[in-house]
Amino acid sequence: MRRRALKEDLRLKKIIKNITLADWTLLLVLLVVSVAGIFITKEALPRGTDVTIEINGEPAYTFPLNVDRTIPVSGSYGDTLIEIKEGRVRIREAHCPNRICVKQGWVSKGVIICLPNKILVIVGSGGGDKPGKEIDAVTG
Amino acid sequence: MQSRDRYRIALLSAYAIALHGFESLLPTPIPWLRLGLANIITLVALLLYGFRTAMMVTLIRIIIASIFRGTFLGPAFILSFGGGVSSTIAMGLAYKISRNLFGPVGLSLIGAVSHNIAQLALAYVLFIQRIEAVLIISPVILLIGTLSGVTNGLVSDFLIRNILKKDGDKFQDLARE
Repeated sequence: MRRRALKEDLRLKKIIKNITLADWTLLLVLLVVSVAGIFITKEALPRGTDVTIEINGEPAYTFPLNVDRTIPVSGSYGDTLIEIKEGRVRIREAHCPNRICVKQGWVSKGVIICLPNKILVIVGSGGGDKPGKEIDAVTG
Repeated sequence: MQSRDRYRIALLSAYAIALHGFESLLPTPIPWLRLGLANIITLVALLLYGFRTAMMVTLIRIIIASIFRGTFLGPAFILSFGGGVSSTIAMGLAYKISRNLFGPVGLSLIGAVSHNIAQLALAYVLFIQRIEAVLIISPVILLIGTLSGVTNGLVSDFLIRNILKKDGDKFQDLARE
């Protein structure tokens, strides 16, 4: 049994030895390029173009992300100030207990949720379209 | 073509079709995730019997498998065909140009990457036509392709080694180790 395991081990070593330097280089380059590419596209591409504010689960306003403005929205805990500036959005002022939404700061994609006020700030790209929706058209 | 070659191509194609069919039965978390197991057979055919056999096996595999699955001449067939043919050509070229530079793992990686690139290009030209979608998805596909390419390369290396050890006398010109 042990001898057999040893033999298998030797065989595996031989296979690894048969990987040439060019193979390793190619593998490394591909891994670096693809992992870097995932991060780069995540950062650069799926950026939203407009902001939708939902109150009590219903879309209330939609604003373009490239026009700076401040919007007061009233909720259960008084007025919440939502600020759009330089393609980003944040909740500037809220009077809810935890103010998690304020601490979240500026976002240029994704969602800010203020649960106590039941306010949802969604950064999207036109017509509630989620970016990358048609990706699953690629199949082999 | 000798009858020995025909027999060989038929056998290799049968293996490739079996792997191709097995792979399409596997559940995958994402629709575009394919392991490319049939590429193992293409690579073995290329290294042991040369480019012509490898190309024949690839063509037979893609056409027969798509007829079985009912996708012949459909969009999935076009993607599969483009990917398979370009990866075989790329592996054949790489092997011919640099005989000792790349081992089976490197060749398998080259095949996997050109398969991915050809499929993405075809998908972009024919079906999606939105460059952002293709750009977002290509690094993910490249990463998956790299990982499965390494695995397939290791398996091919193992197979080739064993075949050479067993019937080494039939491959005098190839037994360079």
